[in-house]
Amino acid sequence: MRWLKSLWQTLNSPAKYLTLGTISLTAFVMGVLFWGGFNTAIEVTNTEEFCIGCHSMESKPYQELQKTVHWSNHSGVRATCPDCHVPHTWSRKIARKMEASSDVWGWFFNTVNTDEKFESKRLEMATREWARFDRDDSLACKNCHNYQSMKWETMSKLAQKQMKRAAEKDQSCVDCHKGIAHTLPDMGTARAPELIAEVGTGPSKFEVNQHYYSALTKPLYFSDKGDVEAGTLNVATKVKVLESANGRVKIAIAGWRKQMGAGRVIYYDFGINMLTAQLSKEAAKTEGVIVGFEQKEDQMTGLKWQRVETQLWTDAQYLVTDQQPLWDYAKDTFRTSCSVCHTQPDEAHFDANTWPGMFQGMIAFVNMDQDTQALVQKYLQQHSSTFVNKEH
Amino acid sequence: MINRREFLKGMVATSFTVVSATSVLAPLSALASVGAKKRDDWLTTGTHFGAFKIKRKNGVIDQVKPFDLDKYPTDMINGVRGLVYNPSRVRYPMVRLDFLLNGHQSDTSTRGDFRFVRVTWDQALTLFKESLDTVQTKYGPSGLHAGQTGWRATGQLHSSTSHMQRAVGMHGNFVKKIGDYSTGAGQTILPYILGSTEVYAQGTSWPLILEHANTIVLWANDPYKNLQVGWNAETHESYEYLAQLKQKVKQGNIRVISIDPVASKTQDYLGCEKIYINPQTDVALMLAIAHELYTNNLHDKDFINGYSLGFEKFVPYLTGESDGIVKSAQWAEQITAVPADVIKVLAKTMAGGRTQMLMGWCIQRQQHGEQPYWMAAVLATMIGQIGLPGGGISYGHHYSSIGVASSGAAAPGGFPRNLDEGQKPIFDNNDFKGASSTIPVARWIDAILEPGKVIDANGTKVTYPDLKMFVFSGNNPWNHHQDRNRMKAAFRKLECVVTIDINWTATCRFSDIVLPACTTLERNDIDIYGSYANRGLLAMQKIVEPLFESLSDYEIFSRFAGILGKEKQYTRNMTETDWLKKLYNDCKSANEGKFPMPDFETFWRDGYVHFGEGKPWTRHADFRADPEINPLGTPSGMIEIFSRKIDRYQYDDCKGHPTWMEKSERSHGGPGSDKHPIWMQSCHPDKRLHSQMCESQEYRDTYTVNGREPVYLNPNDAKLRGIKSGDIVRVFNQRGQLLAGAVLSDNYPKGVIRIHEGAWYGPVGKDGSKAGGAEIGALCSFGDPNTLTQDLGSSKLAQACSAYTCLVDYEKYRGDVPQVSSFSGPIEVSL
Repeated sequence: MRWLKSLWQTLNSPAKYLTLGTISLTAFVMGVLFWGGFNTAIEVTNTEEFCIGCHSMESKPYQELQKTVHWSNHSGVRATCPDCHVPHTWSRKIARKMEASSDVWGWFFNTVNTDEKFESKRLEMATREWARFDRDDSLACKNCHNYQSMKWETMSKLAQKQMKRAAEKDQSCVDCHKGIAHTLPDMGTARAPELIAEVGTGPSKFEVNQHYYSALTKPLYFSDKGDVEAGTLNVATKVKVLESANGRVKIAIAGWRKQMGAGRVIYYDFGINMLTAQLSKEAAKTEGVIVGFEQKEDQMTGLKWQRVETQLWTDAQYLVTDQQPLWDYAKDTFRTSCSVCHTQPDEAHFDANTWPGMFQGMIAFVNMDQDTQALVQKYLQQHSSTFVNKEH
Repeated sequence: MINRREFLKGMVATSFTVVSATSVLAPLSALASVGAKKRDDWLTTGTHFGAFKIKRKNGVIDQVKPFDLDKYPTDMINGVRGLVYNPSRVRYPMVRLDFLLNGHQSDTSTRGDFRFVRVTWDQALTLFKESLDTVQTKYGPSGLHAGQTGWRATGQLHSSTSHMQRAVGMHGNFVKKIGDYSTGAGQTILPYILGSTEVYAQGTSWPLILEHANTIVLWANDPYKNLQVGWNAETHESYEYLAQLKQKVKQGNIRVISIDPVASKTQDYLGCEKIYINPQTDVALMLAIAHELYTNNLHDKDFINGYSLGFEKFVPYLTGESDGIVKSAQWAEQITAVPADVIKVLAKTMAGGRTQMLMGWCIQRQQHGEQPYWMAAVLATMIGQIGLPGGGISYGHHYSSIGVASSGAAAPGGFPRNLDEGQKPIFDNNDFKGASSTIPVARWIDAILEPGKVIDANGTKVTYPDLKMFVFSGNNPWNHHQDRNRMKAAFRKLECVVTIDINWTATCRFSDIVLPACTTLERNDIDIYGSYANRGLLAMQKIVEPLFESLSDYEIFSRFAGILGKEKQYTRNMTETDWLKKLYNDCKSANEGKFPMPDFETFWRDGYVHFGEGKPWTRHADFRADPEINPLGTPSGMIEIFSRKIDRYQYDDCKGHPTWMEKSERSHGGPGSDKHPIWMQSCHPDKRLHSQMCESQEYRDTYTVNGREPVYLNPNDAKLRGIKSGDIVRVFNQRGQLLAGAVLSDNYPKGVIRIHEGAWYGPVGKDGSKAGGAEIGALCSFGDPNTLTQDLGSSKLAQACSAYTCLVDYEKYRGDVPQVSSFSGPIEVSL
């Protein structure tokens, strides 16, 4: 204790033999050295060698990276851990470093030191990183990849289409390119992987009163919490987001229903058998869930139809901003799958209400998962002679 | 001086290198032998006739035995050798003499005289390309029709029409077709009624039918004959169920009632009940049954109300309220020759238990062919058992193992038919000059004869293009189309016809450029076995090298693409083996996690991979369970007994509800029967797949009569004409004449004859010469029934093939008997 008091006294008294200049200069030099040291220490922790010092990081993400284009490619440019996972701007870098204390925690408490533990936390870790990428529109990618510098002509026709669209919006890269460097976590369902790979899982933030499109057939819920299903939202349906809560969004669905049975199937428009949503019997019977408006008789069948609207909740996943990628995917699938035995018919060869019968009669001959089937049928209906005037 | 230590080290290093080097090379050599097997091994392959194991001897096909999993191989296995070794093979590319001399200005009346000049592959492909250039430049895409498709040969890689349409599509656009000859009317009407084409759809599984049905009605249906062939490598699993059915019939557990003018092969096999009906009158019988059900309150009102639309609009027609004709059993008896009390009992039987209706396809291959399918659906609706196991209606249980539960596995894709993304044809012209770019399949001769004419077709108008050139690949329209003499007249208007085929079919005969393709057994390919059962994947191993100068379709069109300067685009820079592996591996990925498949080398060595059994399934069950959530693909989502959509078309030959309409020609008291009293049934053959296997000489010899296609005659009718079995008979009408060999049989009633379609057209001149066969009105020396049939659209709805609306007469032939000109190939001429 005595030495502490002595130290304090020394520091607290004015300099006796040293000049102000000496002290200031020394302090400055020491500051530089210290800052340099601090920075070096920080930078050391920003190197790949440091990251993969932890066994779990070396054996999992590092090994997975080596199977991807970000490790080895024809131009020999590769990415290291910090290139993507450590922000380049100083303030965000420091912030990230402070967040990284959880890594130290993990290292100390062995949270991911075995295969099983790592896999069980993979989704959580991935989601955290995706959220970080979403916040700055994938700035980590855009530090190297620049939309302005992309050579469209060298891309495949499909890639060109997708990428140009993304460039127009300066879209966040991970909207579509999740899994580009490390294995994707098991998200519970491996539904329509090619379709989702094409169109992405959608944004993680929604704007109120904006329209979005379902990329898959999705369950509908009565509220933002709980698992009580109110029905199903069909693929490629246009909905309006009203609010967000708890990883779900409240959407407004508009359409028409046939006045038959429980009236729980909502179609795209009057007299058009394009599926928009199907509600459960309970939901259809519950007061206020389906709101009805004017009624009309369809001369084609003699059935009565009614305009309706419903507002229900759905998970925030698989709602995309643009319908065109869905149609592009469907069109390619249709052209390839439906030309194996005969030339595929022109989309406008049949009207919207004839396509389901034709499609259902042929679906056994092709390998489409349920989601893709529903999407292609809707694509055909949407581009049928009902909507498109095309001589052929 | 090397010391001992060094020497030993060196020895070890050298031996190690040698051992490891050879073991590295070994798998490479194994890969190189993909498809090559030891000479005395059994190779696997599959055709429409069945999946087989084949053994060679001295490089030639020696023995053919059924694939292990095929427990009911067809008798046609005896014709397989003849598919490869027969005198009709196209040996080398050939060009019609006058076309070679005068190109597009040739004397087209000589088309069919069978005089051809041999040329090289390069010459032939160049001529082909030049003809396409001429037509695209002068006429544009509306002048070229390359859209016809047919049964081709099995194999997903070498699918002949895919190759031809992709390659020709790289050159320019062309007219295509909609519909087919098998189910033209049926596939067009059924979407309006039952919301799906139905004819090619998987049906209720046989075990469920056998367990639940009390009565099976085989309406114009001969499954025992037709299930011998299949779209993919057939393994005939349906026959197991037919055998079980036979047992059940014998024990009295199930009643099978077969309604047919003729005593069919199935009737004979099952020993079932039969009802004779006058040809082409089935709709009248169905209406009478419906009338019986309605007046006796036997129809299922709940089902009709909950699942269908328009019954109340149909009833006035049934009761006679709308047209003054009551569709009673007595009324039907006059038309159908089925006694009224038989009709009444049949109606009670069908409504009195679980009844499964199984429709055949030939019943819709006649004028107004839409009507019997529509009315049958109405009957099934009135009985109210659609969607129940062993109840309802099926339109396909006689085809390609429909009714055998599918395994659910993914099948392999095929060689792409379309151009790849971003590719454009050389002649990127989409201007069809106001004509339709797609025409009904069976109206192509009409189009050639009347370009610019506007017709009604399925609710739209079709304008016939002015066709100048045709390309056919693996497709034989001079077999499946009607009225040969009319076809000859039409072909005189064409400038160029190119055909790619294995044998010198009649289509080749009437072409200008003929290119030899090789058979299924002369190339490597991949396909599923079991057809609709999708029981597994078959390695179709090349058995022998392509004969003469024939090539695989892949090779032919790769070379053609090369002449266009687009070979890399055509093949995507992949070899044939690359494609085979790609198709296999894509299939393997699609089946990942569900149906395990070994790597390609193991698959090829084993010969097949088995997917396993399927789950029994009932057609329309989900519709029945919840018609709101699982609507049919009709405008209303329900069964449409009355179709407002069709009614709006205002077609006089296809109205808003099923209608009995008299035919343009009908036997047994119908129109034209005073002039030509006999109805000619030209149904699918027993010993062929349409025209395929007719070329197999040794097999043909097992059924031809006096060297000709058999014509089955009623003994009394024949006796009246002084004909006995074995005689040569001339069958004729105002459209043409043919010679066939008489077979007298009680299976054929008065006023009915049968000649199986697929008999190769062999016209001969009045002098009996092969070259004279080009004449219009020439006699067919072999017995092709389509020499006599009518080229008429079924109605304005489907515009489909009406081959069964055909009246003829026949006599004992007393002239000089000409040689059969169908099978010996062309008259080879040198320039």
